[in-house]
Amino acid sequence: MQNVNAPREPTQQVISTSSTILNMREKEKYIEDFEFPYCDESSKYEKVAKIGQGTFGEVFKARARNSNKKFVAMKKVLMDNEKEGFPITALREIKILQLLKHENVVNLIEICRTKATLHNKYRSTFYLVFDFCEHDLAGLLSNVNVKFSLGEIKKVMQQLLNGLYYIHSNKILHRDMKAANVLITKNGILKLADFGLARAFSVAKSGQVNKYTNRVVTLWYRPPELLLGDRNYGPPVDMWGAGCIMAEMWTRSPIMQGPTEQQQLILISQLCGSCTPDVWPGVEHLDLYNKMELPKGQKRKVKERLKPYVKDPYGCDLLDKLLQLDPAKRYDADTALNHDFFWTDPMPCDLANMLAQHTQSMFEYLAPPRRPGHLRHHHHAGAQPKPSGALQDSTYQDRVF
Amino acid sequence: MPYWYYDKKDLQNTPSFRDGISNETENRYRKEGARFIIDTGSKMDLGYNTVATGVVYFHRFYMFHSFRTFPRYITACCCLFLAGKVEETPKKCKDIIKVAKSLLTEQKFASFGEDPKEEVMTLERILLQTIKFDLQVEHPYGYLLKYAKCLKGDKAKLQKMVQMAWTFVNDSLCTTLCLQWEPEVIAVALMFLAGKLSKFEVVDWNGRVPKHNAWWDMFVEDITMELLEDICHQVLDLYSPQPQSSGADSPPLNTPKTPKNEKKPPSVTPPASVSPVAPIPSKPAITPIKNGADVKVEPPKMEPIRYQSYPAYPGIPPPYPPVYSAPPPSIPPPPRLAITGPPPMVYSEPPPGPPARFPPVNVPPPNYFPPLPGRGPPPPGPPPRPYYPPP
Repeated sequence: MQNVNAPREPTQQVISTSSTILNMREKEKYIEDFEFPYCDESSKYEKVAKIGQGTFGEVFKARARNSNKKFVAMKKVLMDNEKEGFPITALREIKILQLLKHENVVNLIEICRTKATLHNKYRSTFYLVFDFCEHDLAGLLSNVNVKFSLGEIKKVMQQLLNGLYYIHSNKILHRDMKAANVLITKNGILKLADFGLARAFSVAKSGQVNKYTNRVVTLWYRPPELLLGDRNYGPPVDMWGAGCIMAEMWTRSPIMQGPTEQQQLILISQLCGSCTPDVWPGVEHLDLYNKMELPKGQKRKVKERLKPYVKDPYGCDLLDKLLQLDPAKRYDADTALNHDFFWTDPMPCDLANMLAQHTQSMFEYLAPPRRPGHLRHHHHAGAQPKPSGALQDSTYQDRVF
Repeated sequence: MPYWYYDKKDLQNTPSFRDGISNETENRYRKEGARFIIDTGSKMDLGYNTVATGVVYFHRFYMFHSFRTFPRYITACCCLFLAGKVEETPKKCKDIIKVAKSLLTEQKFASFGEDPKEEVMTLERILLQTIKFDLQVEHPYGYLLKYAKCLKGDKAKLQKMVQMAWTFVNDSLCTTLCLQWEPEVIAVALMFLAGKLSKFEVVDWNGRVPKHNAWWDMFVEDITMELLEDICHQVLDLYSPQPQSSGADSPPLNTPKTPKNEKKPPSVTPPASVSPVAPIPSKPAITPIKNGADVKVEPPKMEPIRYQSYPAYPGIPPPYPPVYSAPPPSIPPPPRLAITGPPPMVYSEPPPGPPARFPPVNVPPPNYFPPLPGRGPPPPGPPPRPYYPPP
């Protein structure tokens, strides 16, 4: 072998310079021509309209060019300025969406690519392709013509909690609960969407503590433990968001719109009472407990302040349980689903009939601001949709209001 | 999701083979690539899960592309880079390349091109498409621990057996077993092998029912002795002197493609990167658990071992037990394996001639594992309700 190799090496050296180029071309041609058996080209869909701006890219409504003309939502994976290649956040989202298959979770159909050509320096762009959903909850709530009955609100919340129950059972945290990330099909099926900030969690064992980033969740839906710097949080962060969304079903706009983290904490204290070790044992150990200004002597006024909007006493009670300062006392999805709110008249009721009166898609991204001076927030997740029978969607218009 | 298991015929008719690379050479490339991922990962302190995921990506990648088109070491780096992100243990691309450079000869590193990082970035997209974004990979390690928990018997001996099986699983990454069998099956087979070698006979286990003949019947149905032996042989073959290197050290990338297979005289010299069987140490191997610490059965708890023959780990106990060093830590490899049923497997003796490494067992891997049940249907539908005007 030695003998065989010895004379060969110099030869390789000599030819390598001249043949590298050829090699590159060969390889580029190879890449361009390779039919990836498992990754279709995005050209099989035709873009119809931009419907949102996700955590890591734009979202488009598109339709299949094949015979079924099915509508989809395509979320572009933004990779410019990525020093570390395919974004870890996109990898997380893909991994999580592949794992989660549930009626109340948005369905990832496939991942498509653009063809690699000289034009894009042989680097494909990727799209996550979802079933299309006609509306998002923020869009619906911002339209005064859309009226939810109590039974319909119950149905929305029940589906939302079902989705959360499912993802939490699968050890996934959503970490970006907000009305704009709650999609609703024209048939009234709710889908949790945008898992761009989601991650798997483990139950911390004695001696080891999780260290997740607390820079998650859109500010208005961010729970007090995150604002106080907790890095060992869990499913209750999503349950806080569920509470904020539930209240919004009646108030029609986010209930605590703090412009800064400090302000958000003050708004929370004004609604839920002061954050003290009395009501929340252990709060004093959180990193920012002594660094943030925490209003003292605030009384809890959740029920009192929401009663004018939420006339149903069961609804008020469930809100009170979801908007608990202490994450340990906050209801989990299962407990919430067993709350009397869902088991008393009027019972949860299908949304399809109500939605049938609206033939236009409603997305927050396309809607006018819900109030003057409304700030478009950093990670402003758009909408990736999902419906079931998307065949007659052609009647839906894409810009509304 | 794609189906990632292949029968032996598929494994012989690979893109590399069709590109003129012999099966022996391809297997060597796979082994070297896998081992390089293990070495790079260990040196960067990556856990066994990340390393194993990277290796599985690597094996899958070359079921679609030829080693001639994509040189193995840069692909290996790319697989490890992606696995790091997927397993939540990300490493910077430039750091991986730095370590890779330190482990490779200048000549081998030359295949990374003028801008190695850019090469890896481009390759990452090809890798993702090739593996269909099927990112989550399961490995035998977890099953090993799960099975061990159920076995009854002398704790120390059990411990020893698990350690040994763990090492076998590490080494199995250098074979194409992950393209043939589910991790559960590999775990059973290698635990079985470790049991034989460490003389730990499993006579009883928790959850035993009369219809079970062996402990693994509890976990995987229809495992035959032939199957177990076939898997064991594939791993044990790693420890035999390599019927060496037909084929070049690297595929001759620049030469025009010849659709015929290489036929080169086998070499007598094993490659430097492979330590053949076993002038091996007396101390047991260490197998720290990085990501799997949530399991009760402490697996490999042993003193660290330093293999003199193992390069480039000055002072650091390898987080990954060395590959291809004597499998049985602290137990001298018996000359012969007395596995029930004929014929006894030969261990540590070089197979006569270029061996039939893959005795024809044309059983396509059945899917043993039905999908897990999901959550039940949501609560029953509601009765009609009166209209309730919103405020």
